[in-house]
Amino acid sequence: MEEKKSQAVIEVTESGPLRITGTFILKDMKTGNETRLSEIWLCRCGKSANKPYCDMSHKVR
Amino acid sequence: MENTSSSRDERKYRNEEITVYWKPSACVHASYCYRELIEVFDPGRRPWVDMKGSTTEKIIETVNLCPTEALSWKWNDEEKNKVISKDQYNHINFRRPELMDKSDNGIIENPVSVKVMSDGPIVIKGDFTLLYDGNKKEIRESLISICRCGASGHLPFCDGQHRKIGFTG
Repeated sequence: MEEKKSQAVIEVTESGPLRITGTFILKDMKTGNETRLSEIWLCRCGKSANKPYCDMSHKVR
Repeated sequence: MENTSSSRDERKYRNEEITVYWKPSACVHASYCYRELIEVFDPGRRPWVDMKGSTTEKIIETVNLCPTEALSWKWNDEEKNKVISKDQYNHINFRRPELMDKSDNGIIENPVSVKVMSDGPIVIKGDFTLLYDGNKKEIRESLISICRCGASGHLPFCDGQHRKIGFTG
């Protein structure tokens, strides 16, 4: 059987957000919203005012 | 997901080259747009977007700063929308796929599932490539959990610490 192809790239940026590119469906379990996207940056520091998205708060002291 | 954008929750602003979409319900007032380009994006003015206030290039650059799906854009020439580089973060291809010209959208068989858990981690499932700390891992039919609270002792992965610190989001 052929090796399955990678559908998306999940990149843990250094001291920054999680960057996801490719073919994926984002589901926000809090709101139930489901979106098909090709690129997204998700907050990893816990400080974003716009969770789950990154708003660059990790750079603010 | 069905396309539910009503005219009430969707405004369009055009110049000769591009259309900027504004979805008020998605705006969190992060203020990137008017701090960058008040000549175009002025919350105190009606209408608050004036496409004549700057160049197309500068407007695109500013729309791309929006951290939410409140602002997005596309070329008026649909042909140009077919080749958009990944750094055009808020082009509708990336930010608002439901607005895209559906004519040549292929069916995607195995999209990766990215679940943002309530007050918890990001759980990713499927066939994907994981890049972290200079490592590259090919994950197949499996699942990982990425910390969202910043407090894990095992970063970038979740170790359940969000519960102890009372993370919400």
